[in-house]
Amino acid sequence: MIVGPVLLLAGLLIAAAALYFLRRLEALSALVAAAVAAAMAFLLWHSPLAVPALLAGRPVFMGQQIQLQDLSLQITPASRALLVFLLATASATFILAWRTYQGRTFYPFGLALVAFWGMAALMQPLTLAPLMLTLAAILAVFLIQAGKAGDTRGAWRQMLFPTLSVPMFLLASWYIEQAPLNPDDLTPYRIAGWLLIAGFVLLLQPAPLHVAMPAVAGQAPPVVAAFLWIGGQSTTLFLLQRFLVTYPWLTSAVDSASWLLWLGVFTALVGGALAATQDTLGRFAGYAAVYDYGVLLVAMALRSSAGVPVAIWLLVTRTIALLTLATGAAIIRHHMESDRLDRLAGAASRLPWAVTALIAGGMALAGLPLSAQFASRWALLQLVGEIDRRWSLLLFIGAAGVLVGTVRAGRACFGKLSASPVEREPFGVAAISVVLVVAGILLGLLPQLLTGPVAAVILPLSRIGP
Amino acid sequence: MTPVNFVRQISILMSLPSVLLMGTAAALIVILRDWRLVLLCYALMSAVLALLLSQTIPTEWALLQAVVGGLIAVMLFMSARQLRYVTRPSAGRESGWPQLASLTGFRLLTVAMAGGAFFIVRGDLPTLPMVSPLLNDAIFWLALMGVMGLALHEEPLHAGVALLVVLSAFLLIFFQLTRSRLMIGMLEGWQLLLALAISYLTVSRGLASVEPASPAGSRRWQQ
Repeated sequence: MIVGPVLLLAGLLIAAAALYFLRRLEALSALVAAAVAAAMAFLLWHSPLAVPALLAGRPVFMGQQIQLQDLSLQITPASRALLVFLLATASATFILAWRTYQGRTFYPFGLALVAFWGMAALMQPLTLAPLMLTLAAILAVFLIQAGKAGDTRGAWRQMLFPTLSVPMFLLASWYIEQAPLNPDDLTPYRIAGWLLIAGFVLLLQPAPLHVAMPAVAGQAPPVVAAFLWIGGQSTTLFLLQRFLVTYPWLTSAVDSASWLLWLGVFTALVGGALAATQDTLGRFAGYAAVYDYGVLLVAMALRSSAGVPVAIWLLVTRTIALLTLATGAAIIRHHMESDRLDRLAGAASRLPWAVTALIAGGMALAGLPLSAQFASRWALLQLVGEIDRRWSLLLFIGAAGVLVGTVRAGRACFGKLSASPVEREPFGVAAISVVLVVAGILLGLLPQLLTGPVAAVILPLSRIGP
Repeated sequence: MTPVNFVRQISILMSLPSVLLMGTAAALIVILRDWRLVLLCYALMSAVLALLLSQTIPTEWALLQAVVGGLIAVMLFMSARQLRYVTRPSAGRESGWPQLASLTGFRLLTVAMAGGAFFIVRGDLPTLPMVSPLLNDAIFWLALMGVMGLALHEEPLHAGVALLVVLSAFLLIFFQLTRSRLMIGMLEGWQLLLALAISYLTVSRGLASVEPASPAGSRRWQQ
């Protein structure tokens, strides 16, 4: 019988290895990678976890656990939801990357990254899962640097903090094992709690540890950067939720909701303020993403009956917003040969749909009406306002910063073309931009379209255990 | 006496000199500019770390740390060796690789001040579980030197070795607490992968000294 985790993870890694040798045939690599990811997502979503099923005449047991000494991997309903989300995002991103010139190595490395994130989501004991996230960060170094000689800050910074977090988690695991030996002594729980919190601060990288995001945005291809943020941050937040549900004493040992709320608001404020003042598209996108990430952390901090659904809703809508912004930025960067705002004049006349995607993505990250993020942000602001209205005000200020940055970036694209002749955007690229912009507006007008998918994830996520 | 027993006996006899040697090597990693000496210090530190670990975990497993440390030093050496003659066109030797963010004198002063502060607060340091007082000091000193190296260096090779020093401090405490073969294998493999990424970044950064800055257009991402 084929076991689910083996089918999924080995399938992804074998496909990644095969695609590495096919990377010169970019169109084929992109289509195969997208098809593999989409097929895996479909299979995972439709296969039962509790009983074996037949796949091409062979029995497959998706929910069965595999064990290797103390380690085990098992697909649970909650981890299935995350895996389907990661695979579906990867599938869409591979197509976007192909049409927006993001580099040939993205397809094999992208599949391998999904495999590592998946391993982190499925792994037991929980305290070893961050090691898988670190391996994904090490792999991402090659994707971010992509053979370029020069600045290495983005690649280095995104690897540094996850690496430093691993000792915290592994030491915490020892204290957690010791705690039941002397139930009257709460010291091991307290120390483990603080180690886990320190580990998560390094793993989540809120402000002031946010430095990797703008550096990656300035250095990596925009769609690749968006993919790394969406996948890495979703998996980290999923792990955080798993820890909080598995170790209920964690919330009492340290006030996790409170520090997450503070860090989230601070991150959003820093991201928004700095997004307004950037001189390049890449760094603007990076800081706008930092703001959006701060908002997501605030949603995670609420952890009430309404907080988790809003966090999941935000996770889906931010994916569309980030990919829209990244697609616009990637096309403009490619055609204009620069992403400095003072060199983008005339881009709107030659690349109208790319500029539209850039503006629509920026507005969605700011949470404006008629954008994918509006309804989810509105719900969050109401929830935060119930705790303290000042938090909502600070989030508004951050959003204003992102909006100013979007207006500056959009304005820079108008005017007379001053540089050398710029090629018009091809039909395929324009079509992708239109699809993303329309999808964002549609979700802004009809947010209830996401009710089904969000509801399907909430129940298993609130029950995830060890 | 078997070789394994011999290593263990030596390890017990040489605890204090080993810790002193390891601490000095960690400090030199932060201070020195010459990448050959930095890598030599790292290899030496890994060998001493393996010697100290052999007191608590089976010697064969501890020697794995020495082997991995040696492999990492060789990997980084081969990467750095490609860059030894790299200089900017029409610039002097001092503009070549590596370009450090601080002067050696400054780093020496910083390490000396940190050392002084460490000896003042040494008695007040928290006691780590299941660790002798000597190793307790060694772990904190290695962690301090590693974090200082990360703060003072921007160059991937020097900062990367500093990161590996932090991880050495962690291994020294973690293997006192856990004796799992699987964990040893995973953590040693993890260090190797980390060193691979550091080597790659070292070459990428070093080659930038000779290559003209590429335009921001995304064609440069095509490999």
